[in-house]
Amino acid sequence: MQVTLKIFRFNPETDKKPSYKTYQVEAQPTDRVLDLLEYIKSTIDGTLSFRRSCAHGICGSDAMRINGRNRLACKALVKDLGNRITVEPLLGMRVLKDMIVDMEPFFENYRQVMPYFINDEPPPARERLQSIEERERFDDTTKCILCAACTTSCPSFWANEKYVGPAAIVNAHRFIFDSRDRAGKERLDILNGQFGVYRCHTIFNCTDACPREIQVTKAIGEVKAAIATGKLD
Amino acid sequence: MNRRVSLKEGLKYQGGGPMLSWLLHRISGLAILLFVGLHVISSFFMQQTGSDLATNLNIIYESWIFQILVTFIVIFHALNGLRIAILDIWPRFLVYQREALWLQWFIFIPIYGLTIFILIQRNLSGG
Repeated sequence: MQVTLKIFRFNPETDKKPSYKTYQVEAQPTDRVLDLLEYIKSTIDGTLSFRRSCAHGICGSDAMRINGRNRLACKALVKDLGNRITVEPLLGMRVLKDMIVDMEPFFENYRQVMPYFINDEPPPARERLQSIEERERFDDTTKCILCAACTTSCPSFWANEKYVGPAAIVNAHRFIFDSRDRAGKERLDILNGQFGVYRCHTIFNCTDACPREIQVTKAIGEVKAAIATGKLD
Repeated sequence: MNRRVSLKEGLKYQGGGPMLSWLLHRISGLAILLFVGLHVISSFFMQQTGSDLATNLNIIYESWIFQILVTFIVIFHALNGLRIAILDIWPRFLVYQREALWLQWFIFIPIYGLTIFILIQRNLSGG
């Protein structure tokens, strides 16, 4: 099938404003958008820039807006998108070149919530045991690949990049509800701040955008409830 | 290139039903504020000065076509607010957010339909 790709282009060295370029490519319905982008880069226009790494939906490098919605280019199939596909960079981030955006504000927000295991108690002789139910409590939020599809689909983040955003809250949730971690209260205090969870207006764009199908809004809701009640169950 | 997201770009994002209901909630909230504010001001001026502008504004508010619009805005805003409050109180139901939206419209349609029916019936019978 013939596919028309309308691609956002911006080169900071030559362009004052971004533009769109259209490419016609032959594709199979089972091709991924990443396959088409790689075909264009290797055979039509070598200046096209985008991030990619594993190409299997795990590394989270190739999150971009495809037909107006955040997706991973390596998971978006042509047959689900039709023969006219628009590819644009993530919203709310500074565009460096074409689909490449400056991810630093995103990672700065991520680091704020202390996304690592904290427990100063002396370690037991063997491992820190956890029941199946305790592990299940935060299972969903362990799946995050930090692609930023959720955070950059959030109108609250578009309005203010200081808002920690769904991805940071999801990663805070992963440790707040971990029975072995001891810094839950500190993280809740951070998320109770001016740019914390209460900037979430339950719009659900994040949940719909997540390529790992994490229930992002539910995780944010649970963090809100934990702040309100002071309970972590 | 700066990170600013224009209103046009934001509105073009394909968020679907949940994003549209959020937008409609914001717009209906502002519309209620505007309606109540103007209603209070026009009533005040009508009583104090009896100005034609205030009287005309009141005639518009009380027209049944305007009331059909106002009841849509108020009933939608109330039900959508209730949905958000329920989901905020019990986050475990957030998994069913799409079903909650359908349920909201399922409740909205008969309430709004009945309201329109009563409004039209009253106006046709001159009540």
